Amino acid sequence: MTANEILDMLYGTLHTTGVFNFQWNVIIMWGVGCLFIYLAIAKKYEPLLLLPIGFGIFIVNFPLVPLMGDSHGHPQLLQVFYHYGLQWEVIPCVIFLGLGAMTDFGPLIANPKTLLVGAGAQLGVFITFTGTVLVGFTLKEAASVSIIGGADGPTTIYLTQHLAPQLLGANALAAYSYMAMVPLIQPPIMRLMTSVKERKIRMRQLRPVSRQEKLLFPLVTSAIIALLVPSVIPLMGMFMLGNLMKESGVVARLTDSAQGSLMNIVTIFLGISVGATMQADKFLSWKPLFIFSLGLLDFGVCTIGGIVTVKIMNLFLKEKINPLIGSAGVSAVPMAARVSQVEGLKYDKTNHLLMHAMGPNLAGVIGSAAAAGMFIAMFD
Amino acid sequence: MKKIVFLLLVSLFFPLTANAKDFLGAPVIPQGKAIQKTDSRLELKTLLSHDEVVSFYREALKGFENIKFREWKDATYIEDDGKMPWHSITISKGGKESTDVVIVKDNWTWIIWTLVLRYIGVFIVLMILFIGMSVSGKIISRSVQRMGAKKAANESS
Repeated sequence: MTANEILDMLYGTLHTTGVFNFQWNVIIMWGVGCLFIYLAIAKKYEPLLLLPIGFGIFIVNFPLVPLMGDSHGHPQLLQVFYHYGLQWEVIPCVIFLGLGAMTDFGPLIANPKTLLVGAGAQLGVFITFTGTVLVGFTLKEAASVSIIGGADGPTTIYLTQHLAPQLLGANALAAYSYMAMVPLIQPPIMRLMTSVKERKIRMRQLRPVSRQEKLLFPLVTSAIIALLVPSVIPLMGMFMLGNLMKESGVVARLTDSAQGSLMNIVTIFLGISVGATMQADKFLSWKPLFIFSLGLLDFGVCTIGGIVTVKIMNLFLKEKINPLIGSAGVSAVPMAARVSQVEGLKYDKTNHLLMHAMGPNLAGVIGSAAAAGMFIAMFD
Repeated sequence: MKKIVFLLLVSLFFPLTANAKDFLGAPVIPQGKAIQKTDSRLELKTLLSHDEVVSFYREALKGFENIKFREWKDATYIEDDGKMPWHSITISKGGKESTDVVIVKDNWTWIIWTLVLRYIGVFIVLMILFIGMSVSGKIISRSVQRMGAKKAANESS
């Protein structure tokens, strides 16, 4: 064997390594991945999702890694997760099943007028849509970006996958990042939009809700959503099934699985698949920057929308509602409700708003799903 | 064959016949006679049947992204959800001898109004849910109260 042949062999071997296929832009993506891993571990911002998302971003941005492509006609590992989990829109719906199995709709059933707060808080979704179109996104992309303000991860992923799958990574990341930052984003807006007197409003204790009412709720809600916004029934139907399983009390094993192991399993697949969509050549453009900026605006306007809705309702109600619970109209369950509680306690140490805020908080989940349904109906 | 000859004659004798290839980027049916034309709207009449016009547009818009054909009762509605300068092409149905085609420019009025309507739509959905919950809650509360009272009466007797 000649020296040239040995060099050729060495050259060929080295070209099968990532080092020789290196591109500078992946370094930025490693940084993005590590940032989200840092936020998850050090700051505990939505760690269940940001950790696998961060790792997905990190690992998929190494050259030649067989993760998101095809090998000999077969999809590679993360491509399989992505295809069956997200492209088939399975994971968001299964997560909603688990969320339903965890959720107690009692506060919403006891005070159903808070449903309107959940609708009012979708204001940002529709305003951001306009802004997103103005900066050059298509209508479908604008719809998927604007739903970020609804602060509902699975709904954002479901709608984005449906209308603009190319934005999935950026949208999911923006939604979960801002959801984690609700305690930072909302309080200044809440203080700006309310007077001290309003923040001290006390609300009557919620009435007890019978088991029958809790059993009927998922059926009534499913029926109404199926009739009015059928396009989101895969999400809402699973949400209500999970809740019916919980409230029925007769399928404890299924409820445990739905809210425990099943939810954990799909969360891993969701995180890693979303992260894996963010490859440098697809992700590094001006769009993610706009998505993050518009997402923040969206959250702010949604918070304002919820508070203003409460204020308008107070004009007609004998028993006033504390407008601090309006901000919980964005979904982000139960983080946004906790923020209302914390802000309320700052002005009256004995005024506990948590259960009152859970009503609009849960209404926000239904409201954002309804908004998503409106967008799907608009484009399908 | 007769039809083609007829259409050729029509296009020769009608000076108003639209011969532009497109209006704001939207393909214009070659045999169409312009009835009304402004900067934002073009209305045409053609002797082709509705199905022929639709097939023309299906062929002409092949490969365009974000184009959607909707079948309405009175018309076929072609909508662009992308970035084309035109927003919609409406092709009337049921015309005896002619088919009307209307091309409309992309406009903010449509976007704003559709968003306003959909925001109101979210309120309506949740309002109906509110009514449904209030009514069912009242019915159930009453029946639970009645059952409780019956039970108490039975126990006392």
